[in-house]
Amino acid sequence: MSNWKLINKTYIYDGTFDGLLTIVFDSYLNKTLPQKIVSSNNYINNFLDNTFLIKTDYEKSKKTFDNIVMNICKDALYNTYYAFLSNDKEKEINILKYLCNGFDIGSEINNKITISYVFKVINLRRKALSECHKLKGLLRFKEIYNNLCYSTIHPDNNILEPLGKHFINRMPKMQFIIHDKNRDLCFIYNSKEYRIIESTNIKIPSVSSDEIAYQELWKLFFNTISIRERTNLKCQMQFMPKKYWKDLIEEP
Amino acid sequence: MKLDIFEKLEILSDAAKYDASCSSSGSNRKNTANGLGNGHFSGICHSWGADGRCISLLKILFTNACIYDCKYCINRRNNNVRRATFTPREVADLTINFYKRNYIEGLFLSSAVIKAPDYTMELLIQTTKILREEYSFNGYIHCKTIPGCSKDLIDELGKLVDRMSINIELPSSNSLKLLAPQKEKTDILSPMTYVSKNIKLNKLDKNKYKENFVPAGQTTQLIIGATPESDLKILKLSESLYNKFNLKRVYYSAYISINNDKNLPSLASPPLLRENRLYQADWLLRYYGFTANELLNETHPNFNTILDPKCDWALRNLDKFPIEVNKADYSTLLKIPGIGILSAKKIIRARRNGLLDFIALKKLGISLKRAKYFITCKGKYFEKVYKFNENFIETNLVYQERNSLLNTDFKQLSLFDKLQPTKEDKIKCLTGNL
Repeated sequence: MSNWKLINKTYIYDGTFDGLLTIVFDSYLNKTLPQKIVSSNNYINNFLDNTFLIKTDYEKSKKTFDNIVMNICKDALYNTYYAFLSNDKEKEINILKYLCNGFDIGSEINNKITISYVFKVINLRRKALSECHKLKGLLRFKEIYNNLCYSTIHPDNNILEPLGKHFINRMPKMQFIIHDKNRDLCFIYNSKEYRIIESTNIKIPSVSSDEIAYQELWKLFFNTISIRERTNLKCQMQFMPKKYWKDLIEEP
Repeated sequence: MKLDIFEKLEILSDAAKYDASCSSSGSNRKNTANGLGNGHFSGICHSWGADGRCISLLKILFTNACIYDCKYCINRRNNNVRRATFTPREVADLTINFYKRNYIEGLFLSSAVIKAPDYTMELLIQTTKILREEYSFNGYIHCKTIPGCSKDLIDELGKLVDRMSINIELPSSNSLKLLAPQKEKTDILSPMTYVSKNIKLNKLDKNKYKENFVPAGQTTQLIIGATPESDLKILKLSESLYNKFNLKRVYYSAYISINNDKNLPSLASPPLLRENRLYQADWLLRYYGFTANELLNETHPNFNTILDPKCDWALRNLDKFPIEVNKADYSTLLKIPGIGILSAKKIIRARRNGLLDFIALKKLGISLKRAKYFITCKGKYFEKVYKFNENFIETNLVYQERNSLLNTDFKQLSLFDKLQPTKEDKIKCLTGNL
């Protein structure tokens, strides 16, 4: 990768995983590295930038996808996908370098953690996954009526899909909506299939009296289960950062 | 909904809070087609209480109306506390409804002994049967084995639950005689032996035993500070529990003075630091290849209050150091203070692509705070470590710990102060996680 040409261009893509894989395909073929890659909805126009619009090509992205599994390894695909879900500003360029070098040297790329972009990609994956894991615990459903549940979250990373799938495995017979308020995306599952849509002002009817009773029971349990002699609010805060509090039922 | 369920939940969760165990790990029970819930192998914490302990299971007693009179226990017969008893249906409904809303990962059902051990055990079985069979619940269930119950009932319960535990509580038979005169040592150890034997058999012969038996294993709990045992004695007990009974975890619970009795110490505050040291040492036993005799001995029967057990051990065994990070194998890397399992694995992976120096270690996110005194990179010491002797290292380590202590508490240390717990003692990351 050392003899690749650095070109003074800013790539703008549509912000989808397929879009990013299209860029990877083209860059690897032409052996060029752009200066920046930005998603179109994050891009703020700057007259110094030499912008270049990338059109998502599903055939190219499919080829890249298959090639990652075949020529690098499955783990690299997970690294790429979860790093892509993270909210880092420079994730795209790091993923591009990581994959292109990976195509050259194969699965050995994952051991080269002293290279900064490999380390960053692996770290971004870890970050996204750890937030996903945290929310698997901290998400709270409200039952609207029998077996239909609604929940709001405010995550830093775009982890709606892996999070939703976790709950499908867990409660296949339920119907639920998980609403990512930071991105205004909704994960909707109707007990058969799921879809992620941009939400258009979902109105939630008021919850049942049973729901309120269970919320009260939970708050009661939450308050009685901690031992007063061992109070340690700092430790509590460390595990449960304040940014997650607004979606909880209990009041820590 | 009936109002008295609120009162019951309040009484019976309050009575259950002294049990340290809360983990939901070790089981990956699959969901059934029409079922509700599944196990998550590494466990999921759903909330954290004001004491910083994680809440992952609905931790309640079935009843607190106990026939025993154990002196340390809040539910002892002679205590004047409110008593309540759930019905199996109430517990099952509460569990399902909490689970559906993602408040909890499952149920942790414990109980005082009501009427007789077998009678209590039958109530626990009824509850788990409703959950597993009627509601097709496949989430995590942790049940207490009642001391002195019959073996048939253990068999029955073991097939329904993920984890079983029986609390030893007092770390020697003398203490047991003194504080829990109605319980016999064999009442506790014989069910434990039986469960661990059955788990082993079940794992060996999957064809003969179609159902899983306690897939997430067995745990126990020891109370720290109610009786005069030394850390060495407690750690040795844990070690033999891990080796002989194959336990998954031994939990340590700092004693909190709740009852007044001439045989009980009256402590101003629970011995949290001591509890934390024991947890740290417990980890060293299970994951780092240490033995109890390496960490403590007759001349050092208790843990250092300022330094963690691994640092303390390293200082007493300086002949094994410094360790060259580019050459040492995995098990040797694990013995370096400040290097954990993740860091050791990172080092092994990274050094395949060339020799590591201190800058590379920092880049990998490996903390050198303690490790720098005990390692060399490419044969060189860390630049500020210009002496390699016990005095120099100990002074620096103690200085570091005290420094971080100053930063957290914002108060001047005086010569006459008793040493306070360090910053990381306060972060009780070990309890309940993993």
